[in-house]
Amino acid sequence: MVHETPILEARDLRKTYRLGRARVPVLRGADLAVARGEFVAVLGASGSGKSTLLHLLGGLDRPDGADADSGVFFEGQNLARFSESALNAYRRRSVGFVFQFYHLLPELTVLENVMLGAMVGRGRLGYLRERAAVRAGASELLDALGIGRLSHRRPRALSGGERQRAAIARALVNHPPVLLADEPTGNLDRATGAVILDSLAEVRDRLGQTIVMVTHDPAIADRADRAVEIVDGVVRRHAGVI
Amino acid sequence: MYQSLLTRRYLTSRVMPLLAALAVMLCTAMVLIVWSVMSGFLASLLASGRTMMGDAAVTWPVSGIPHYEDLMSRLEAEPEIATTTPTIETLALVGLPDGEPRIWRLIGVDGESYDRVTAYRDTIWWKPIDRPLPKDRERLDPRLTIGGEYLAHALTLTEPDPATGAPRPAVVPGLWATGYNQRAPGGVAIPRFRFMPDEEVTISVLPISQRGAAIDVKARRFPIANEFQTGLYEVDANTALIRLDAVQEMLGMDAAERVTGFDPFSVDGAGDRFVEPEPAGVDPARVTTVMVRAAEGFTPEEARAAAQRAYAGFAAAHGPGVPDPSFVRIYTWQERDGVRTFIAAVKKEIALTVTLFGFISLTAVFLVFAIFWSMVSDKVKDIGILRALGASRPGVAWLFLRYGAVVGLVGSALGGAAAWVIVTNINPIHDWLGAALGITVWDPSIYYFPEIPSRVDPAAAALVLAGGVAFSVVGALAPAIKAARLDPVRALRYE
Ligand SMILES: Nc1ncnc2c1ncn2[C@@H]1O[C@H](COP(=O)(O)OP(=O)(O)OP(=O)(O)O)[C@@H](O)[C@H]1O
Ligand SMILES: [Mg+2]
Repeated sequence: MVHETPILEARDLRKTYRLGRARVPVLRGADLAVARGEFVAVLGASGSGKSTLLHLLGGLDRPDGADADSGVFFEGQNLARFSESALNAYRRRSVGFVFQFYHLLPELTVLENVMLGAMVGRGRLGYLRERAAVRAGASELLDALGIGRLSHRRPRALSGGERQRAAIARALVNHPPVLLADEPTGNLDRATGAVILDSLAEVRDRLGQTIVMVTHDPAIADRADRAVEIVDGVVRRHAGVI
Repeated sequence: MYQSLLTRRYLTSRVMPLLAALAVMLCTAMVLIVWSVMSGFLASLLASGRTMMGDAAVTWPVSGIPHYEDLMSRLEAEPEIATTTPTIETLALVGLPDGEPRIWRLIGVDGESYDRVTAYRDTIWWKPIDRPLPKDRERLDPRLTIGGEYLAHALTLTEPDPATGAPRPAVVPGLWATGYNQRAPGGVAIPRFRFMPDEEVTISVLPISQRGAAIDVKARRFPIANEFQTGLYEVDANTALIRLDAVQEMLGMDAAERVTGFDPFSVDGAGDRFVEPEPAGVDPARVTTVMVRAAEGFTPEEARAAAQRAYAGFAAAHGPGVPDPSFVRIYTWQERDGVRTFIAAVKKEIALTVTLFGFISLTAVFLVFAIFWSMVSDKVKDIGILRALGASRPGVAWLFLRYGAVVGLVGSALGGAAAWVIVTNINPIHDWLGAALGITVWDPSIYYFPEIPSRVDPAAAALVLAGGVAFSVVGALAPAIKAARLDPVRALRYE
C-alpha cells in the first residue's frame, strides 16, 4: 500500500482568500495522501479550512501557486495541469460531492436529481441512448439507499435524512472512484446520521469507493479507516480524543 | 441534455418567466397587428385604385383624343395589352332629387368595354344576392329582394323610359356619393329614405374650349341605373359613371359635321332663308382617356411601354389631327396624379410605424433581461451544484440562453396567435368597441375604406416572430454570461 500511488493526494496545498485588502490564509501547505478504497475522516475547528480542502480536492477551486510538486494529484496527475474541460470531466466522472445542506434542485424530483448527475456532460444523443440504463441505475441506487419509493417526490417533501440519501445517490450515479462528503450528517440527528453512515459503508463495500469525509463528530471519525485534522492550515493525524 | 429538463421544469414552476413570455407576446402581437392592418390598407388601396382605372391609360384632358377607335385597335394589337376602353372624365354639378347640390367626378364609360378593363361588374352594388351578409342577422339588406334588372341596367348604363320603354342613358354613382345610403352594422348599405336606382338627378357639365374656358353650361336629367362600390371611400363618395355617348354629346365631343361658309347674317336672294352652310366633312368623336388593361402576365409598366409604342404609330398615321405623342400623357394607374405620392407616403408610413413599434418592443429585451437577471441570482445555488456535478461554463450559459429562447418561442407563438385572432376579427372587435365603449378608431371618411383592411404577410409574420425569439435571447444573454462566470465555490457557499 505504501508503494502504490495514492488515488488522491494533496501536496503542500495552499489557499489564501482575499477579503478586500485583507488576506485570509486558510491552507498553508497541507499534505494528505488518500489510498484507493480508503475512508478518511477530516476533522478540524470551524473555519479551519475543511470545506476549502474538499473543494480543492474535488477540482471546484484551484489552489494558490501550484507547481509541479504542489497541488492536488489525482492518480498522480496534477489537477493544475488540467484544462477547464478536463477539470469538468474530472468532477463529472472521478469525484462525487455530498454537501451538508443536500443541495438538491427543488424543481426536480428525487429521481431526476439523481439522473441529473448522469445527464451533465452527455449530449442529448448520448443521453437518450443510455437513458434506460441511467434510469435503471438511478432507481437501483435509490433502492439500495432505501428511498426508492420516494423517487417521484420533490425534495421539499422529504426529511433531511432522505434528502441526504438522495444527494448521495446523485453523487454516486456516475460511479466515481472518489466520494467527497462535507459534513453529510452535520444537519441530521445522531440516529439518522448513523443510518447515512451505514448507507455509505454499504455502498462503499459494493462499489469500493474512496471516501474523504469532513465531520465535526469524533464518533463518526471513529468509523473511518483514518482520521486527520486541520490545524493552522496544515493536516495532522487526529489525536483521537473523544 | 440537463438544460432541456431544467428549462421545462423552470418554465412550469415559476411565474416570472411567464411574465417575460407575456411581454414578448404583447410586443409581437402589437407589431404584427399594426403591420397587418397597414399592409392591408395599402393592398386595398392598390386593388381599388386598379379597379377604377385599369392598368394604364392614355390621356389628353381638355380637347380629347379623336379617332380613338383606331387608337384602341392599335393598342389592342400590342401583345402586352389585353383590352381597352374609351372614357371621358369631367367635373359635374349634380342636383340630387331633393335639390341638394353636389360636385362629382363624372366618368363617361362604355359599360361593356369598361367592364372588360376594370372590375366594374364586381363593384355594382344593387344586384340580387341569395344569402345575407354574415352579420346581417335581421336580413335588412334590400339586395335580398331586388330583381336582376338593376344589374343589367348598370352594365349598359341605361334605364328604360317609363312611358315608351326605350332605353335612356343613365348614371351610376358611387354608393356614398348621394348621401342617401347609410351603413348598417355588418357592411349592409340601406337606403335612408329614397332608393336611388328609382330616382333621377340633374347633371350639369361645362363644355370647355381648347383654351380651358367654359363655353356653356349643359344640364340634363338622368335616371340612376344603379350604384357602385369600389371600397375606396374617396372614390365611392365623389364619383359617378355615366353613359359615354351622353356625356360626349353634352360636352360637344361627339361626332359633328364640320361646315364652311356659315354666316348667320347672310340670307339668300329671296331674303327669307339663311344660306345653307357647305358640309366640309365630319369632326370625329373624342374621348379624354383610353384605359388599358395589361395582358395576362404583363405588368402595368409593360402595358404603358406598349401604349407608348402604339400611340407613336397612331400619331404618325393621323398627323396633326391628334395630340402630339410628346405631349399626350401615358401612365400606369399608379403614376396618376396623387396616386403615386399617396402610395409612396403610405409605404413610408408603414416602414416608419413598424420600425417605431419594433423599437418599442425593445422593452421586451429589458424585461427579459431583468427577469432573467433576478432568476440567475435566485438560482445561484443550482448553478453551483451543476458546476460541482461537472457542468461546464458554456453549458450553464446555454441553460439560460435556451431558456430565453423557449420563453421567446412561447411568447412569439402566443403573440402570433393573438395577433391572428385579432386581425381576422378586427372589424367585429372594432364594431364592438364602437357599440360598447363609443370608441371609433377607424373612420371610413378618413381612412378611405369602410372596413378595416388587414393582410397577414407570412414573411412579415415570420420575421416578427423570429424577432420575438431573438429579442428574448438577447435579453437572456447577459444573465447567461453572469451565470457562466459564477465561481462554483462561491455559488455553493451562497446563502
Ligand atoms: N470566499 C471567501 N472569502 C474569504 N474568506 C473565505 C472565503 N471562503 C471561506 N473563507 C474563510 O476561509 C476559512 C475556511 O473556510 P472553510 O469553509 O473551509 O472552513 P470549514 O473548516 O469548512 O468550516 P466549517 O466547519 O464551519 O464548515 C474561514 O475562515 C472562512 O471565513
Ligand atoms: Mg465547511
